[in-house]
Amino acid sequence: MTIDVTFELNGAAVTLAVEPHHTLREALRRLGMFSVHFGSDSGETGAAAVLYDGRLASADVILAAAADGHRVTTVESLNVSPELHPVQTAFVAVGAFQSGYSAGAMILGTLALLEENPDPSEDEIRDMLSGILDRETAYVKPVEAVKRAAAVLRGTETEPFAPLVIEPLTDGYRPPAQPPTGSPAPEAPHAAPRLVPSREVPDMAVVGKPEVKVDAVRLAKGNPAFTDDIEPRGMLYAKVLRSPHAHARILSIDDSAARAVDGVHAVLHYGNTPRVKYASGGQSWPNPHPYDQVSFDDRVRHVGDRVAAVAAETIEAAEEALRLIEVEYEVLPAVFDERFAMDSDAPKVHDEDDTTHICDPQRNLVHHIAATRGDVDGNLAAAPHVFEQTFRVHQVQQCPIEPHISMAWLDSDERMVVRTATQVPFHTRRMLAPLIDMEIKDIRVIKPRIGGGFGAKQEMLIEDIVAHLAIATRRPVRLELDRAEEFYASRTRHPQTITFRTAVDDDGKLLAQEMSIIGNTGPYGTHGFTVQIVSGLRGLTSYNASSKRFDCHVVYTNIPVPGAYRGYGAPQAEFALEAHMEDIARTLDLDPIEFKRRNWVKVGDEMDIAPHLGERAVAEEELDEYPKVMSSGIEECVAQGMREIDWSRRDDAAWKAPADRPNIRRGIGFAFCMHGTAIPFLDMGGCSIKLNDDGSFNMLIGATDLGTGADTVIGQIAAEVLGVPLDDIKVYSSDTDMTPFDTGAYASSTTYISGTAALRAAEAVRERLKARAAMLLDVDEPCTIELRDRRAYAADGRSVTLEEIALDSLHWQEQEQIMGTASHVSPDCPPPFAAQFAEVEVDVDTGQVTVTRLVMAVDCGVAINPVTASGQVEGGMIQALGYAHCEEIVLDDDGRMVNPSFGPYKIYRADEMPDTVVYLVQTMEDSGPFGAKAVAEIPKDGVAPAVRNAILDATGTAINELPFTPERVWAALQAQA
Amino acid sequence: MSLVAAYHRPGSLGEALELLSTPQRVALAGGTTLNADREPSDLEAVDLQALGLDQVASAGGGRVRLGATITLDAVRRCDLLPESLRELARAEQPSTLRTLATVGGLVAKASAESLLLAALLAHEARVELAGPGDAGSSERGLGELLAAGLAPGSLITAVAVDPSGSTAVSRTGRTPADVPIVAAYGRRTDGFVAMALTGVADHPVLVDVYDPTAGLDPAGDFRGSREYRLHLAGTLTARVMQELYP
Repeated sequence: MTIDVTFELNGAAVTLAVEPHHTLREALRRLGMFSVHFGSDSGETGAAAVLYDGRLASADVILAAAADGHRVTTVESLNVSPELHPVQTAFVAVGAFQSGYSAGAMILGTLALLEENPDPSEDEIRDMLSGILDRETAYVKPVEAVKRAAAVLRGTETEPFAPLVIEPLTDGYRPPAQPPTGSPAPEAPHAAPRLVPSREVPDMAVVGKPEVKVDAVRLAKGNPAFTDDIEPRGMLYAKVLRSPHAHARILSIDDSAARAVDGVHAVLHYGNTPRVKYASGGQSWPNPHPYDQVSFDDRVRHVGDRVAAVAAETIEAAEEALRLIEVEYEVLPAVFDERFAMDSDAPKVHDEDDTTHICDPQRNLVHHIAATRGDVDGNLAAAPHVFEQTFRVHQVQQCPIEPHISMAWLDSDERMVVRTATQVPFHTRRMLAPLIDMEIKDIRVIKPRIGGGFGAKQEMLIEDIVAHLAIATRRPVRLELDRAEEFYASRTRHPQTITFRTAVDDDGKLLAQEMSIIGNTGPYGTHGFTVQIVSGLRGLTSYNASSKRFDCHVVYTNIPVPGAYRGYGAPQAEFALEAHMEDIARTLDLDPIEFKRRNWVKVGDEMDIAPHLGERAVAEEELDEYPKVMSSGIEECVAQGMREIDWSRRDDAAWKAPADRPNIRRGIGFAFCMHGTAIPFLDMGGCSIKLNDDGSFNMLIGATDLGTGADTVIGQIAAEVLGVPLDDIKVYSSDTDMTPFDTGAYASSTTYISGTAALRAAEAVRERLKARAAMLLDVDEPCTIELRDRRAYAADGRSVTLEEIALDSLHWQEQEQIMGTASHVSPDCPPPFAAQFAEVEVDVDTGQVTVTRLVMAVDCGVAINPVTASGQVEGGMIQALGYAHCEEIVLDDDGRMVNPSFGPYKIYRADEMPDTVVYLVQTMEDSGPFGAKAVAEIPKDGVAPAVRNAILDATGTAINELPFTPERVWAALQAQA
Repeated sequence: MSLVAAYHRPGSLGEALELLSTPQRVALAGGTTLNADREPSDLEAVDLQALGLDQVASAGGGRVRLGATITLDAVRRCDLLPESLRELARAEQPSTLRTLATVGGLVAKASAESLLLAALLAHEARVELAGPGDAGSSERGLGELLAAGLAPGSLITAVAVDPSGSTAVSRTGRTPADVPIVAAYGRRTDGFVAMALTGVADHPVLVDVYDPTAGLDPAGDFRGSREYRLHLAGTLTARVMQELYP
């Protein structure tokens, strides 16, 4: 039964027929309003928010029929000309959009707010944003955007948004002579990054500048950019039947009733799908073993595991078919806790005979990883002080607001086209080929704009399903996970049990450090090996010790599948490490920063455990030399951070125990952070640049922009080399048919690896431009030509435009296509460093922890774009705060997630944020493009230990398990008392 | 989104009650709960938006009468209400949902964790109901209604509260805007304190300020065990009392 509905859409009446259950979101997307996005069915993400009779409202929970007679406004209403509305302009100018998945909602909310109140307070702005969950920006720059939009609409002049340049407090290598506290930190809006320049870094035209993102206009207008924003004719909708059991054998499947449902075109399961073993982690060839998955198995190993998939004319038909599939299960015992997975009586998660390379399947032991440097046992035995502590870290989800979504179809050449929200299009193409029995050359993977990934999309998660169904039906097929599936059927962070044992001499120097991990990889290996490797790298590289040992057991269990999550093993390790180091300092009565400073790695120090861990680990005798730290701004980071947080308040008893709030204790915590930049000898990126008739350039890159600004940053690198503004570089990325190879967006590699590829490709183009300019200017030595301001200059000041060079080279004499192609792989992995500070209030009667301030000072080398870099830090810190404070996947005794929705699974929203301040401390990393190192992941590393150490500072209570929920903290306080 | 099988938009209360007399028909207020459920059903939605129940007015005895389809956003803006209630209406839902969620829906849902509902209890809320046929219209105290549940076929048409008194609130959650694990809302009028708690029973309850945990047997969950909730009940009640009697 359909209902004719008429409502006013963006000023014009529209009428359409809807089913009673259709939502306004579905109706609007049918009408081509692509700015309205799916985040969940229950509306709490705000990605589908519109103005409903002038008020911001989630279209997910409005029935289309109920909208009859109402007025609906979407951001498309502003798109009456190529120019942006002032509100859109404000968001673009401050870099408020990362993925931009909820851009339309934010802009509409701003319009409604400013119409009612032209001069809103920050609290009112944050309240407006409270219904739009943003996993990327920490709301810092969106709040600033609203303020600036308000000012513009009131007619107030605003300064261009730019970083605040700060004088250094150190010489770059040593701490300041006097503690950098007591003097006030510089004042500026929180959204403006504090930039501490380095004298080693020259001033540049495009690099280092807060350029507007190359995709900002598309996002601000809500133009179709995301996977779901096209709809191939005849598209079918897929849904997946998921296991209700944590561990079971499928004895039989009867799909006859499902196939009989009107509109159903295919039902796939283990009985009709080839059994091809694979590992789903999006990693370089050859994927780490074991290959313990198949598209559909006769065994399910976690609640939410795949059982069958259906393709049908409508989602409703697909869901009806799922309900009619009869599955007979033999329920098996399950294990969830990694500490018990290796017990002799633990159920065996993988006992099939076609999975190889499991270290010990009878003990659920997937990998045993070990590495040693020096005489650990001797030092532990002889040291005057030995400390041992065990920490537990939990399971959380990446929570991209855009869930996983893929669509696949066979093109006119019978090639498989997969349009998918992925971080790894090239890996996906390679990994998909054997599963669908096609050759790589016959598969094209396209990555459109992604609504956040954070590692969850570094996986071939659902692409094989849509491809199988497209082959079975010969129709385009689309599959989108719902929010609950995103929680328990995509990927998560690995839980771990971590034990540190450390030997210290009487001077506070480390003699030995041993790290033992039991890593929980859930039912499948995927990233289980490499994540624990990164835990080992981060846990044992940050501090110098004359001997080190890593011992790691990676085990199977029946929890939802862990995989890649921004930080990739580092947040777990650094929580344990920084907590452990803090406690050692307190026990030895040493200042924690001073104790850590005595031991942290410095310029020239070897990263001595690193070569012995990883996919390409080497033995000591195979090494010529150990990699060394070549740049570090950690002293400046610490100094700036101490001043900003006012570290001296740790000694202020009146501040720590405010007289007017007797139940409150305050504290400040610190964490030293060190991360990596790309995987040496493995991560590779390519770039191709060609000159156009007007002197502009097309740049093709395989790099995958998740909203991080990678397209912009890489474009800036090329623009700097070619002497043109960023707008003259037209970037197209991540299409396996069109662009060069790239390993993908992970391992903090994109700027460093893909950026260097762009640098080299641009240099190749520059050489040809110089040669052609020399011809035109009659100059003998092309090397004397300089490119700047869209022109090529001879030494005597004469010049030609790049357009003149282009027209000459393409049309007039000795024609050629000026172009350059390059790729890059690095032998180095230069670490970014950071100082993370947190300020907390602890309610000692209830255990409630309120994080009031986060300050992070980051040495990421040269920030190619300080605005996008600071946005990465802001967003990363708040994700990390969720990890520390409130996010957790909770399973019941049967392995079912009890909180698979936002709210019960708590992520921070705009009206409850702590103050966040970001410092970017420049250093010159010679191995990086224009001095750049990584910035994307290090913000995930230090928040949990800094908050933990702040709670310790406030209360004297050390808590070694995450997250710091009220009852856990209260129980710890009770135990302490 | 619930897979409702049919949609009705009655133009009068009588028509709505007639429609709701059939068991599979459910009242659709703001839709934030009903439409957020994607389970299939044979439910038919009876949309209340055309019934004119979205009025706010002063009522007898200094009370404020909130029509059932008043949104929480409208409550937030209502000058007739004390700031404490307006602030709780703001905090009850994020910006994109409070423009849809209604007072009637809030009462009908009877969430154990609703601090606004607890506050309405403390403000002696009385719920106006309309029923089919002989049942006619009636009025019940909110506490009584929460305990008994909404009778099939009956419809909440308004909620009237006494806005007077001084108030205080105390809550504990994982983050500042988290739905509280337990919260206490107290209202003091002429030597009497009404204290309402969330998170300690199947719905918000009024408790004895001198023995706030008496008779409580809260179910624990991952956010708070039974024992922890009882501890919070006592602690938060004491804090509210301290604020009401500084």
